[in-house]
Amino acid sequence: MAEVEKKEVAAATPPWKPKPRPIVRLGIVLISHSLLVSVVCCTAGVVALFLLPMLAKNTYISENALMPGSASSMLSNDDISEAERLAKDLTSLNSGAADAGIERRRVLAKYLSDLGVEVGYHKFEPHQNQFHPLHFFSSPDSGLSRENGSCSSYGINVVGIIRAPQADGKEAIVLVTPFNFRKNSSSEALSISIGYAVFSLLSRVTWLAKDIIWLVADSQYGEYASVASWLRDYHIPVFSASSSDNADSCFEGNNINLLREESLDQTEISSGFRRAGTMAAALVLKVTDVKGQLEDTLSVYAEASNGQMPNLDLINVVNYLAVHRQGLRVKVEKFISVLRWEWIWVLGDTLNFIGKVAGSLNPEWKFGISTPDYVEGTATLANLLYRQALGIPTGPHGAFRDFQVDAITLEISPKVVYTNQGRRNEFILRSARLIEGVVRSVNNLLEKFHQSFFLYLLTSPAKFVSVGVYMIGFALLVAPLPLVAASLYVDANKPDPSSQGPKHKLQINFKPWKWLSAAKQVFTVHAWGVFVSLLPYFISQIPNSTPAAHSIIWFSLSTFGLLVLYLITKSPFKPQKGEWENLKSVTISVVFIGLLLMSVVNFATAQIGALVLVPACLLAQPLKLDIRDASLKSFLRIACNVFISFVAFPPVGFFVLKGVNEGSGNMDVGEFWTWLESLWAWNSATYIYIGMVHLPCWVLCLHILLHSC
Amino acid sequence: MAASSAVVAILASIWLCSSIAADASGSSSETTMHTNNWAVLVCTSRFWFNYRHMANTLSLYRTVKRLGIPDERIILMLADDMACNSRNKYPAQVFNNENHWLNLYGDNVEVDYRGYEVTVENFLRVLTGRHESAVPRSKRLLSDEGSHILLYMTGHGGDEFLKFQDSEELQSHDLADAVKQMKEKHRFKELLIMVDTCQAATLFNQLHSPGVLAIASSMKGENSYSHHLDSDVGVSVVDRFTFYTLAFFERLNMYDNASLSRLFNSYDPNLLMSNAYYRTDLYQRNLQEVPVTNFFGSVMETVHTDSAYRAFPQKNTPRETRIRTGKTAEDDSRRSILTDMTKAECPFTRIVSSLESKMETVGNLDSLVNYGLVMILPVLVVSVWLST
Repeated sequence: MAEVEKKEVAAATPPWKPKPRPIVRLGIVLISHSLLVSVVCCTAGVVALFLLPMLAKNTYISENALMPGSASSMLSNDDISEAERLAKDLTSLNSGAADAGIERRRVLAKYLSDLGVEVGYHKFEPHQNQFHPLHFFSSPDSGLSRENGSCSSYGINVVGIIRAPQADGKEAIVLVTPFNFRKNSSSEALSISIGYAVFSLLSRVTWLAKDIIWLVADSQYGEYASVASWLRDYHIPVFSASSSDNADSCFEGNNINLLREESLDQTEISSGFRRAGTMAAALVLKVTDVKGQLEDTLSVYAEASNGQMPNLDLINVVNYLAVHRQGLRVKVEKFISVLRWEWIWVLGDTLNFIGKVAGSLNPEWKFGISTPDYVEGTATLANLLYRQALGIPTGPHGAFRDFQVDAITLEISPKVVYTNQGRRNEFILRSARLIEGVVRSVNNLLEKFHQSFFLYLLTSPAKFVSVGVYMIGFALLVAPLPLVAASLYVDANKPDPSSQGPKHKLQINFKPWKWLSAAKQVFTVHAWGVFVSLLPYFISQIPNSTPAAHSIIWFSLSTFGLLVLYLITKSPFKPQKGEWENLKSVTISVVFIGLLLMSVVNFATAQIGALVLVPACLLAQPLKLDIRDASLKSFLRIACNVFISFVAFPPVGFFVLKGVNEGSGNMDVGEFWTWLESLWAWNSATYIYIGMVHLPCWVLCLHILLHSC
Repeated sequence: MAASSAVVAILASIWLCSSIAADASGSSSETTMHTNNWAVLVCTSRFWFNYRHMANTLSLYRTVKRLGIPDERIILMLADDMACNSRNKYPAQVFNNENHWLNLYGDNVEVDYRGYEVTVENFLRVLTGRHESAVPRSKRLLSDEGSHILLYMTGHGGDEFLKFQDSEELQSHDLADAVKQMKEKHRFKELLIMVDTCQAATLFNQLHSPGVLAIASSMKGENSYSHHLDSDVGVSVVDRFTFYTLAFFERLNMYDNASLSRLFNSYDPNLLMSNAYYRTDLYQRNLQEVPVTNFFGSVMETVHTDSAYRAFPQKNTPRETRIRTGKTAEDDSRRSILTDMTKAECPFTRIVSSLESKMETVGNLDSLVNYGLVMILPVLVVSVWLST
């Protein structure tokens, strides 16, 4: 039927061309005005980014089942005095003695088994995170840690498990307190006190629906390593007999056996690995001494690897209980340096003013925000974006995220170092009640955290920007890329008005070839990018060398590779007309694809990358042309281009950021290497992004700038 | 009670066929006696954080039992996942007040529909009586045209719907349709629907059947709030509407004559934080004259007949309509109700007593029988003559 109609229409109106559909016409209009569109979109994208603190909404507890704070705390002073007794026993041991660690572990295990809970030791070999090119995005591997056979160094975690009296034991909540058994630290002892107070209470209550696991993580090889290896063993059991034999033989003669035997005399401490159900949530508890605070403060760290965040509800519960029940000040990390930037304050004032004007026009428009709030929000947001973009977990909670467990680190810092026992007890009481409240709330959960957001940015502990809002800025920023690419392609392949006739045909035949040659160039440069990103694996094998030497080797090898490529692929012909336009068009398309892919993997990286790459790509134009033009506009463009390409070079960008953040002190070439090393050691996708998207595109932009047309 | 009334009906149809039978079965519910009481109590939500809904329902269950509806006439539908929930600090106990004076989950709670059986389908089946043949009698609403039914529902609702266990919805149309079917099938004389959910009033929008009285905790666009939180158990334990309903009933005993209008006027919007709504346009009686025990208690009238197991009634057996009033039945208002009730006798009793009084006047029963036999002879002669 429709076809018949179409035919009829076609028959009725033969002289006119069929009108293209509205969407096609819209596309054509946008492409033909790509310059205007790209200026407007990019500006809007940057403005939207700076508006985010203003658009932040108050957090709310989305999951009905949580009911934080509905139950009164059951923690008593007896729990605390008992916990303090434990802390005293732990700290009173002579730290100098060789077996102080073993003795402390035994004391802790004794206290735990006196509570009537299951106690177990977990021994692990800490292994350094090593760069392996194929380990990006792969699941945590159990085989990795078992390869190196050195028995000299190992850590032992102490694990206590409370079985929920009336539940089926299918779920668990994990509490983690990092503790260095070898050293005497007052703040770590304080965190053990808090942990033990909560744990001893939970061992008595009847309302548990989930098992409680208390992991006292041996932090002598780092907090993350111990938690990560315990989690790995928890989730990936090893069944092969040979490996356990190997481990046993490894520990033979070591004091682990001594420790176990002695413990067995007193209590039943299992030698096997103890497990409970699947983990609903995990809380990492730390106490730190921070000088010069006005009140007791709770810092929340949530960023896991590749910028993954735990469910917002977990942070909400902690924030709600800390603020409204225990009167702690909650904060999330922020860039202090942002607070010193004058222009941010001016921007905040302006936005405040606009908000007030809008409010006076229509009282229902309430998007005003006070200047200090705006600046604080921006500083927090900037820090969060940076942390997410790095892709390195900010604490041991990151290890849980790898197993899809929602976890955060709670860092409690007392106002002063308490010497008075009463004040100290009160501090422990408040902190322990906070943990108890969170545990009880999570205990009420019926399912995994799922109700609230996983994709969000925090501008303060109680304000967030959801994915639907922050994606707008990013979308605006990258929207001009395909338009400009299309417009450039059209321009480059426009038939020359001067050359009509038989030549015209020939040119049409050459069109695909021109596009392909540009694509070939782009592909070659990206292949070089892969090569550059793989180089550090081989460079790091070189023994006995400093990071600075590594950097220099890496840099020179990369440059050499680029030169070789350039000489091989250099076209022997004179540059064709429209060649650089084609090249730029393909580059922009590739940047567009790269940014979009990255925004799925790690939004913050893509957002920061887009802020640099989008202007760099859009502005890139051969310097020769601009110099030939010699107008104010072209000089401006030259200045912009030179500046952006300078800053966009990753090492330069790194040092500029560092200088802005920490002040221009001592700059070491090796620092960049160390930074990148940390990126790949944590399997951060940002490393891949820098090596395979950012660097090649930067080279291509440079190539366009220096193009000899 | 149901059994005895059924026997009475059968005897009536055997003895005095035409006139009485027509009077009894052909009558509309207005003229039928209120003979029995039923209660259907439904808690439509599950999960620990909805503790209060189960506590609501169990409290009402306790109240109607206390006021005289026996367990066999209460259909209790509960998810029943609170008492033995592992989060419950007091295992196998449910409280509706933070003072914990009253354990609602004692050893005499009979839950008829439990857990995942509480579905819209089962609910509608209970109301309309369309069960599979295997469903036991204890799970059926065996009401008749003399029944007063109390239907209490609590859970999470919205505009013209009520959620069932987070997976289904009962819409106001469904409810109205079920009530209409019940009416057609003579399953009730009067029906009181009491709903404690958010926007509960909207659930009654489609009701059209006469004899239905409806009361809701909140109007359209309003929330029903919980009354208080038990910080020991860690959940809200009762909803405001139900709390004040229970508070009203706690002051009553089985023999009180508090009227429905007193109950309805006891709801204070400031305390409820919502406006209680009642729909009376389908209900004929004056609310001030209807005692709450007509729905929340059991029927107080007993028709006593010893004739059930004898071929003929004995001569001097008194047939009385006894009203079990309280031990202290002195006040005038109660007396007036008493006399009202004696006037309103059932037709069967009336006819039997008139027959009896006529027989009293005859005096000598033997001579009556002899005269009767003599009278039969001419009739026999005439009939023989006619047949030949």
